[in-house]
Amino acid sequence: MTPLVRRWWPTALFFAVITSMPLWIHDGYVLQLIFRVLVFAVLGMAWNFVGGYAGQLSLGHVAYFGIGAYAMTLSVERIGWNPWIGVLLGAVLAALAALIIGSITFRLRGPYFALSTLAAAEIIRVLVQNQDELTHGAVGTNAPLLFKAPDIDAKFFWGVIPLLAAAFALSTWIHNSRFGYRLRAIRENENTAMAVGVNPAVDKLLALLPSAVFTSLAGSIYASYFSFVGPDTVLTIEISVQVALIAMLGGAATVWGPILGSVVLTLTSEIFKTYFEHTHLVVYGLLLIVVVIFLPGGVISLFTRRWSFRRQVGPIGAQQ
Amino acid sequence: MDLFISQLLNGIGNGVVYASVALALVLIYRTTGLLNFAQGEMALFSTYISWKLATSGLPIGLAIVVSMAIALVGGAVIERVLIRPVEQARSPLNVVIVTLGMFLAINSLAQLVFGADYRQINLPIANRITGFGSLHFSVGYILSFAVSVALVIALRQFLRRTEMGRAIRAVAQNRAVAPLMGIRVERVSAITFGLGIACAGVAGALLLPIFWTNPTVGGPYTLKSFVIVVLGGMGSVQGAALGGLLLGIAEQFTAYAWADRYAEVVNFVIFILVLLFRPQGLFGGKA
Repeated sequence: MTPLVRRWWPTALFFAVITSMPLWIHDGYVLQLIFRVLVFAVLGMAWNFVGGYAGQLSLGHVAYFGIGAYAMTLSVERIGWNPWIGVLLGAVLAALAALIIGSITFRLRGPYFALSTLAAAEIIRVLVQNQDELTHGAVGTNAPLLFKAPDIDAKFFWGVIPLLAAAFALSTWIHNSRFGYRLRAIRENENTAMAVGVNPAVDKLLALLPSAVFTSLAGSIYASYFSFVGPDTVLTIEISVQVALIAMLGGAATVWGPILGSVVLTLTSEIFKTYFEHTHLVVYGLLLIVVVIFLPGGVISLFTRRWSFRRQVGPIGAQQ
Repeated sequence: MDLFISQLLNGIGNGVVYASVALALVLIYRTTGLLNFAQGEMALFSTYISWKLATSGLPIGLAIVVSMAIALVGGAVIERVLIRPVEQARSPLNVVIVTLGMFLAINSLAQLVFGADYRQINLPIANRITGFGSLHFSVGYILSFAVSVALVIALRQFLRRTEMGRAIRAVAQNRAVAPLMGIRVERVSAITFGLGIACAGVAGALLLPIFWTNPTVGGPYTLKSFVIVVLGGMGSVQGAALGGLLLGIAEQFTAYAWADRYAEVVNFVIFILVLLFRPQGLFGGKA
């Protein structure tokens, strides 16, 4: 095997398997569940740019998710555009919002940063909730479909795979590039990073921009699939928290971590919902704690430990 | 003018409640450096224990004392068993996961054990109305005000006058030097954690005769507490008390002058403005 093949065959296999899934999985429920896993994997990867590599604990990513969902919906409803142009509009607006929110919140550090991102997202939620004429307020409204019947489940499924691939590619690039090294330097110690010539203000914004764009794109496709937007579904704090948990629990600052995190968290929460009903959040919360206590490096450390003969790429400490 | 005064008084009434909940968070944050996202849920759980005891026949005072003891021990145990091991791994992100996990678990546990209905302790005196001139207040409101103020003062005295209080302040001031003074930092941290939850729980229990509660009210209180803590300058007990008052008044006037629905967001706007223009807090000296 050439080194290229040796390095990339797991990735190629993974994408081949998920791309073929709609061909051999005919159960709509299972397909929908895996669709959700993939969307949240994209979200987790996007969050990972900021939260994992740069170590900035954002709890406000739902803002970009909601912007994507609402931009697509409202540009169809109010301007009469094609929903795909609305998706692009959402991405542009999310980037703008990221510039504004980022340039304010990135001045703050640690817990203050986390709280200020949460505050920014909440401000957007309340604003959307109260612009009844424009956004239908707290009630929400129907989102347009990006794909038309027949085989709508499969089309959505295939629709999210390019997004996943792009996020994966960007993640891989960040993981191995000088930019990624700078972000990790910021995470380890912002003052020291500055002393060696890193400009944290610029680099953190540069990490947030693609993060917000991917989050917005995932928000559009997610809202379209479930054909609904409302402040309590696409702008709720719970999505911010879940996205952050997926990346942190899977393995922060790793390429595969958010994918693993999404598989584990989305599936377990679905299983717990079915089998434990009312207690599912108790079990889910305890699971988070147990995983963190016993696998402080995230679920991915299970794999890296066992397959440690594989060459490790990245700087020391990238996977604690 | 009367309207203005009654709005102001309402704002102060709410503000005192916020202050007493935020105080507990300040105590924990300063001493352990821990941002506890499950603070509100833990306080609420302790409030529910008071409610359960009070409605099953215990006198309300005794019920509160018992639940306070449970919260103190429970909080200390949680700190010891769940938070300390993760914190020692020096991963701030993981500590956040733990507190978020507790938030989810405790919140739904409360719904399971105590039900999702709104609960209240019935105390006839709390529903009476009193007043002078054209101003009217409910007695319950005045009671809650008095009790919250008493709680703030008691906490302040505890921190100033007792050996444990001095140890807590020493740990808050410098975690590295405190052990050199013979203070067992880990024990103090665990006790502070329990104490913070007990205080917030007591505040919650004392409000039960006036406000209704259900398992979802903890979250907003936690968020408001964070805002208040920042507003007051990350840490001083007085700062948090004043910050709470200010927030209560700001909310009341936003609701009155603009719209009810914007009241819930005014705290976040204030929060971001303060962080940008006065990061040391409105009343804080040093950053």
